[in-house]
Amino acid sequence: MAPSRYVGILALVAGCLLPSGVRALWPIPHTLETGTTALTVSPFFYFDVQVEGAPLDLYEAVSQAQFYLANDKLGRLVVGRGANDTTALVGANTLSTLTLSLMSGATAEPIASEAVKPLGTRSEEYTLTIPADGSAATLVANSTLGLYRGLTTFNQLFYYYGGVTYTLLAPIAITDTPAYPFRGFALDTARNYYPVSDILRTLDAMSWVKINTFHWHITDSQSFPLEVAQYPELAINGAYSPQEVYTPSDVQYIVQYAGARGIDVLLEVDTPGHTSIIAATYPDYVACFDETPWSTYANEPPAGQLRFALPEVVNFTASLLADIASTVPSSYFSTGGDELNVPCYTNDYPTQLQLNSTNTTLNDALNTFTLATHGALIAEGKTPVVWEEMVLDWNITLSNETIVMVWISSEDALAVAERGFRLVQAPSNYFYLDCGAGAWLGDDPTGNSWCDPFKTWSESYTFDPLANLTEAQYELVLGGEQCLWSEQSGPENLDPIVWPRAASSAEIFWSAQQPTGAPLNVTEALPRLQDLRFRMVQRGLKPIPLQPYWCAIRPDACDLTA
Amino acid sequence: MAFSRHLMIILALVTGCILPSGVQALWPIPTTLETGMTTLKISPTFYFDVQIEGAPSDLHDAVTQSLYYLENDKLGRLVVGRGANDTTALANARTLSKLTLSLASGAAVEPISSEAVKPLGTRSEEYVLDIPADGSAATLTANSTLGLYRGLTTFNQLFYYYGGVTYTLLAPISIKDTPAYPFRGLGLDTSRNYYPVSDILRTLDAMSWVKINTFHWHITDSQSFPLEVAQYPELAINGAYSPQEVYTASDVQYIVQYAAARGIDVMMEIDTPGHTAIIAATYPEYVACSDASPWADFANEPPAGQLRFALPEVMNFTASLLTSVAKVLPSHYFSTGGDELNTNCYANDYLTEQQLNRTGMTLNSALDTFTQTTHGALIAQGKTPVVWEEMVLDWNITLSNETIVMIWISSADAAAVAGRGFRIIQAPSNYFYLDCGAGEWLGDDPTGNSWCDPFKTWSEAYTFDPLANLTEAQYELVLGGEQILWSEQSGPQNVDSIVWPRAASSAEIFWSGKQPTGAALNVTEALPRLHDVRYRMVQRGINAIPLQPHWCALRPDACDIYA
Repeated sequence: MAPSRYVGILALVAGCLLPSGVRALWPIPHTLETGTTALTVSPFFYFDVQVEGAPLDLYEAVSQAQFYLANDKLGRLVVGRGANDTTALVGANTLSTLTLSLMSGATAEPIASEAVKPLGTRSEEYTLTIPADGSAATLVANSTLGLYRGLTTFNQLFYYYGGVTYTLLAPIAITDTPAYPFRGFALDTARNYYPVSDILRTLDAMSWVKINTFHWHITDSQSFPLEVAQYPELAINGAYSPQEVYTPSDVQYIVQYAGARGIDVLLEVDTPGHTSIIAATYPDYVACFDETPWSTYANEPPAGQLRFALPEVVNFTASLLADIASTVPSSYFSTGGDELNVPCYTNDYPTQLQLNSTNTTLNDALNTFTLATHGALIAEGKTPVVWEEMVLDWNITLSNETIVMVWISSEDALAVAERGFRLVQAPSNYFYLDCGAGAWLGDDPTGNSWCDPFKTWSESYTFDPLANLTEAQYELVLGGEQCLWSEQSGPENLDPIVWPRAASSAEIFWSAQQPTGAPLNVTEALPRLQDLRFRMVQRGLKPIPLQPYWCAIRPDACDLTA
Repeated sequence: MAFSRHLMIILALVTGCILPSGVQALWPIPTTLETGMTTLKISPTFYFDVQIEGAPSDLHDAVTQSLYYLENDKLGRLVVGRGANDTTALANARTLSKLTLSLASGAAVEPISSEAVKPLGTRSEEYVLDIPADGSAATLTANSTLGLYRGLTTFNQLFYYYGGVTYTLLAPISIKDTPAYPFRGLGLDTSRNYYPVSDILRTLDAMSWVKINTFHWHITDSQSFPLEVAQYPELAINGAYSPQEVYTASDVQYIVQYAAARGIDVMMEIDTPGHTAIIAATYPEYVACSDASPWADFANEPPAGQLRFALPEVMNFTASLLTSVAKVLPSHYFSTGGDELNTNCYANDYLTEQQLNRTGMTLNSALDTFTQTTHGALIAQGKTPVVWEEMVLDWNITLSNETIVMIWISSADAAAVAGRGFRIIQAPSNYFYLDCGAGEWLGDDPTGNSWCDPFKTWSEAYTFDPLANLTEAQYELVLGGEQILWSEQSGPQNVDSIVWPRAASSAEIFWSGKQPTGAALNVTEALPRLHDVRYRMVQRGINAIPLQPHWCALRPDACDIYA
């Protein structure tokens, strides 16, 4: 791969200490060299796109970068917010151009095409050089997607004070490449609905920290907000209201918007559990529908799961999943598979009748069901993604290509890896953003969040993607994601419950280590995360304050033992 | 009082009346409530008929606001279909054309904002609201404009919207309502992080919707001093986070007026003598252990720094500062704080020790002198001092009998304060702190937890018993209570979602006290009504968190733990 040619630069930066002033970057680049010269951005600054046949979405990305450069207006997070920098700025050199170019031989494809290539074949690496003397800065990559990542980094380098946009750290030399190919954020839009505008804003924020996968848990037992052309009744009967639906054009718009920001949309239609609401359209397909007490039949109300043993349900589900998957460009599609409740079927007459008449077990039936649904997806060119129970709790045959998401506990990654499957780290004990908000079930005032406590950014940040794995298993870890399950969330609290916390996994899976080679460290990270959080606020997002502002402008002063 | 005459008649009428399950609308639930099963629509020409001679302008403003909510709430009933099944009932329904507002005979006509800041126990918040089923005029009567304001708030919660029609299914409606406790507050810390004035105004609006009547404004702390004080302008110049993050004198007056017009008294707190580190930015000689490290030896959170309260010049400064701030506020109450005073801060403070040695005083007796000075100055301004519980439980100081004591460390501490004979406000962290459960915010502590973990859900807060562990003779000492947002991890970005609808829990505890049937408040009965108030808040532009999946909100009790 081309980045190896740059390894020579590593020699140059060897021994270079990261100045404490470089709080700007998140995720921290692979290698980073900075100086101590002030450099201001010219009022006439422009991006010089030296890419033959540059795609439209690259020009849009450049326009966006220009907008952020002009409008972030982020003061440095120090007492005075940059007031002490004015002296340094007086005679400073001026940066007038960033030249974007592709490596020779690289093809200029749309960012949106690069972003949805199979994992491991995307080119996200880039090299960014900003001389101290005011000569043109350069951004070089092997793909438009790499250029996009470099633009994101470029925008994080500059501060603003008194009408001037500047850095104090020129020259700057960055070579950057992600440690893991999968860096996601997951959103459940079924427990509560999010308007399209909220999803778009979230995609913007994801792009700022180089998250490259939007894992869209779009349906669940409570609602089916996805309009499927071949099965329109599912949303008509299953969405919370006609206004709370993602139409095919909504989905296409979201997918395109994401793709242009380097983000692949991984859709999940969770099956065969988490499907109660399908009974509103196909009552014959759902067992234990709305049964009470719900807790006997489901992890949360309402009860109801697909009668996966019935041939017509197998065919329906395979057809439904393939229809949905065929409309989205991603190479991946999740069929879910978590929290399948067995008692739901124990007294379900159609299921038991079918099992008895065919002399199969529930496990065998699930195997048949999964082979059929996954087979249909594979026929569409999709790689199936499942939750960990499909591997750990059931004995079913999955394609070796299947990607398994670890969620119940970080302890479970090893067992999945031992089965030889590639995995995505989404452990609830580090990465579930909904934990710690108390019980949401009624009549339970002393109940607590099932995954209490709240996962702070720093607790998440200490997650080790390779913990307990053998070195031979490391390559199975594709990356990871933080997830927002929406029992207690909606558009009202989306921003503050997700940001800046979801940036923790973004850095774990992009950077994996500090440029010095040292492990990631919460104390080193906090000032940079503050920086990112304040920049997000400047861009209109509503991330929570991590600390009193007094602390944010005094790095380390509020550390536990300071 | 005119009110009590009505009370007996109506109580007789409603005795034995069962609260229909359809009344999910009201929060806090009224003292008495009688409803029918007749559908009644709001006329497109509906108006409020203010039959009050010399009605103050803030009452007219309140009526305008009420009409706006009536027209714009557009809240669908929280049932499957959101009211689609109500259209048949609406087809031939009668129409309500007006609500007549009047005061009981002999009642004085004062502005709401004057009524709202009267001393606790002398405010008149009660009202009577009647909505006939036949379309004749509804009536709202009270003993004060403040009572009328509360009644308008209730009136606005009664109506739903579907297909262009605003309606109730429960006419006739007869409500007689009066608060169980005089003090129902919300505390907000604007020092750890700053909130623009617009966020405070929006919060005051939401408070008014649930009849909260006190905004406890913890305006300064160790981290910043965002309050512009005319006599001490340097405190904000040097102590605010930025020149833009200041509450100017006119901001404060605007907020106070805005609050009072909504029936809310602004009780300001300048926390002393702890929680004052930032004063050192202006008066370094007044502050001990300023920014000393490790901060944990000298303060509960960074930065360290407390007023050298033993020094006469600090006493005089503080008394002068507090009276300067208090005298421009209409409230009868002013909090001097007094929590989390760290004695270690003074142990090696030369100036403090020198003063104590010279005068032969102990730290406790110096604090007594300091408090008598600051409280004396406030009392001279006509203010009643309010303090945190440590001033009574941890220190031996002389406080005026009138002093109000806020319980915060634990609900278990109320009995000890009551045992000392002081009136109390219930703000126990183990029920009412809205910031709990968000994890550690200090740096370099990834496995740390919130000091008051877990998160206090609305239902946990709702189970708080204001009279727990008290003797019957002590009940009258409980003035009420409040939920509080401390802002180490909050700011304008999450103020709505971390406060609402949770802060409505204490609003109902202290307004209603019990259900109209006389039964104790109950989380299962309450949840559908709280959903209703939450969805109405969203309609009015507040970013209140969803309490459950929308599926559950439309199906009361379906998501109860044993459903």
